[in-house]
Amino acid sequence: MHIDIDEIAKTFGTTAALHPVSLAIPSGALVALLGPSGSGKTTLLRILGGLEYPSSGRVLFNGQDATGMTVQERRAGFVFQSYALFRHMTVFENIAYGLKARPRGSRPPRAEIARRVNKLLSLIQLPDIGARYPSQLSGGQRQRVALARALAIEPRMLLLDEPFGALDAKVRKELRQGLRDIHDETGLTTVFVTHDQDEAMELADLVVVMSMGRIEQIGRPQDIRATPATPFVREFITH
Amino acid sequence: MSDTTLPVSARPSHFRAATDETPTARRVMIGLAVGGLLLLVFAPLIAVFAEALARGWGAAIASLGNRDSLAAIRLTLTIAAISVPLNAAFGIAAAWFITKFDFRGKAFLITLIDLPFSVSPVVAGLCIVLMFGANSAIGGWLVANGYPIVFALPGIVLATMFVTFPFVARELIPVMIEQGRAEEEAALTLGASGWRTFWTVTVPNIKWALLYGVLLCNARAMGEFGAVAVVSGKIRGQTATMPITIEMLYNEYLSVAAFSLAAVLTLLALLTLLFKTLLERHVAGQIAANHRH
Amino acid sequence: MARPLIHRSPMPGLGLSAGITLTMLSLVVLLPIGALLLQGANFGLSNIWATVNRPRVWAALYLSFRLSLFAAIFNLVFGVLLAWVLVRYRFPGRRILDAAVDLPFALPTAVAGIALTALYAPNGVLGGFARDWLAPLGNLVFGPFGAQFTGKIAYTQLGIFIALVFVGLPFVTRTVQPVVEEIEREVEEASATLGASRAYTIRRVILPMLSPAALTGFALALARAVGEYGSVIFIAGNIPMLTEIAPLLIVIQLEEFNYDAAAAIGIAMLAISFAMLLAINLIQIWSRRRIGHV
Repeated sequence: MHIDIDEIAKTFGTTAALHPVSLAIPSGALVALLGPSGSGKTTLLRILGGLEYPSSGRVLFNGQDATGMTVQERRAGFVFQSYALFRHMTVFENIAYGLKARPRGSRPPRAEIARRVNKLLSLIQLPDIGARYPSQLSGGQRQRVALARALAIEPRMLLLDEPFGALDAKVRKELRQGLRDIHDETGLTTVFVTHDQDEAMELADLVVVMSMGRIEQIGRPQDIRATPATPFVREFITH
Repeated sequence: MSDTTLPVSARPSHFRAATDETPTARRVMIGLAVGGLLLLVFAPLIAVFAEALARGWGAAIASLGNRDSLAAIRLTLTIAAISVPLNAAFGIAAAWFITKFDFRGKAFLITLIDLPFSVSPVVAGLCIVLMFGANSAIGGWLVANGYPIVFALPGIVLATMFVTFPFVARELIPVMIEQGRAEEEAALTLGASGWRTFWTVTVPNIKWALLYGVLLCNARAMGEFGAVAVVSGKIRGQTATMPITIEMLYNEYLSVAAFSLAAVLTLLALLTLLFKTLLERHVAGQIAANHRH
Repeated sequence: MARPLIHRSPMPGLGLSAGITLTMLSLVVLLPIGALLLQGANFGLSNIWATVNRPRVWAALYLSFRLSLFAAIFNLVFGVLLAWVLVRYRFPGRRILDAAVDLPFALPTAVAGIALTALYAPNGVLGGFARDWLAPLGNLVFGPFGAQFTGKIAYTQLGIFIALVFVGLPFVTRTVQPVVEEIEREVEEASATLGASRAYTIRRVILPMLSPAALTGFALALARAVGEYGSVIFIAGNIPMLTEIAPLLIVIQLEEFNYDAAAAIGIAMLAISFAMLLAINLIQIWSRRRIGHV
């Protein structure tokens, strides 16, 4: 699914979190929103996911206006920075949650839910942890469970907020590759937010550099490295 | 960033944040909460003052001036003045013992301290009567030597202490667990004596929790009815506390006098709540200030 | 190796604090409770049973525990609702409402008792309303089905229920409130992004998170209601077999200097209370285990 962001702006009270920004995300791309904190990247991601409503502008999914769609209707697989796992549910129940929450008519039968959950558990290479609770998992395992939970609803796109932010360096490297693999396997249009330029450059097909609620540059990693469009970008990617 | 919300005007009518209920659901819930509290809490509160002032201010104030009411007020103040400091001392000692030392059976000790909360006040009074009443071994001896406990001030104090026993300790223990032992240890390594450490390090850290516990303890001590009803013997002018006197006046259909005395205790309760609210705001401000550092 | 009774510690005041704690605990709480148990032991189990096993005592015990359970259930539902409204919504008067929740803790029970009676007695404001408006309305609607309402609240079991709701009101709200404050917004948002409706999120995510705290509050409210005396005896009417609560029976026995019977009923109340608290604790341990090792 391709996503178009058309002159989206967002103000909180009197402060502008996003000045009108526009961006076209091609179908199946892996896109990084890169910038320091306060650059508006998380706000943009939350607008895509339907968690915030833009002050002005439109969001288009496959050319259709999706601005007014509710969170539930969007079917965006969203991975939160804190993972936001349900800690009173097992890993299995966490992943099955989105399927069980569907209205009776479109809810898959129990056996089908179990089959899909187990398939996702092997996709994230943790086939044996279904019965555990989130508090019994390592940080890296939690992140992968959160990813599996988002994938379970057969999302139309994958949105990740600082997916590696809470992990140590070694795990971070491993999971980067994991995300790349899952993206390649599912072909989902994927947008992730990061403040780590290495992560963005290494992982993404397309990097969107943001600062102070504006887009500074959009480009392939090698192009941004070779020709930074603004002094901010040059400063930020060399730091 | 996640907890910022849109100003309502910027939302189209159909857009609702994922964590909001529908406006109708919200209105219904607020309505139920307000309505429930109006009926259950505010209505009795108003009733106390309305009944007290049913024949005007003059009658209400005059009814407080009779000898029995004055004696009851004096007795209740005396009981609070004895039992609250004793329970505060106990609470501090227990909290110190429980949070500064590691020993076997700590959880059991905490359970025992909490025990009075799950014992009916009437049963509490009964226990005191059985222990110190004239026909018990200890009580009989004490009465024979001229120190009656039951149907006298000491029994009422004991019963009051029983029902208010956990209040101060319960407020202090969580605060002192959170504070840890590092500050006291630091003071000791700097050569401070035990008492000095306690007064200059511990007390400043727990003073608000202590004050709050003492306030709750005091409110309950002055208002205790069930336990005191059993041990006091309800001797007018001698062992009738304010709540007991309220009962006697009420049963004699002296409504204005009963409710006037009740209004005095209600004012005390309101004052306690006011203190509590101010204290919470103060402490919350202090915590926020600490977090900003 | 056995754990030592007390670990050595550089902290001062071990002897003093342990001494005060244990002495006062024994003197004020443990010895008096021991005296009750001793009285019961001397009286004998069969005599205790004979005392309790009388219709009037059973009726009182049944009444006390049944109405306390109903009041605690009401407070469970209303307390969770109140906690939610006070934490999540902003509306005029919220702070006053929040402070008012504690009034039943601070107001002497005898004062609450006479105030509630004044309100709900047939000649009181709310009692009169119930008699003149609610009862005729109820008879109009349900009369054809054989129901008959008098609209009487005070001096009936309904009055006792209201008094017990009043004294138990703060417990659930005050235990649940901090938990509501701690719920991460992201968890609720995650549920929504997974397609769950708000109602489903509340049912499957929020309420399960609140349930351990709510259960604790429920247990406290229940324990308080079972033993409650001051706020109930004024509104109850105290008719044997109908509106006579268990603590009142103890008082009556004591007024007749019948210490054995009083102790027997007291021990029966303690036993039932502890059995209930034990059951609730077990449920709690079970639910905590389910919710994870937090």
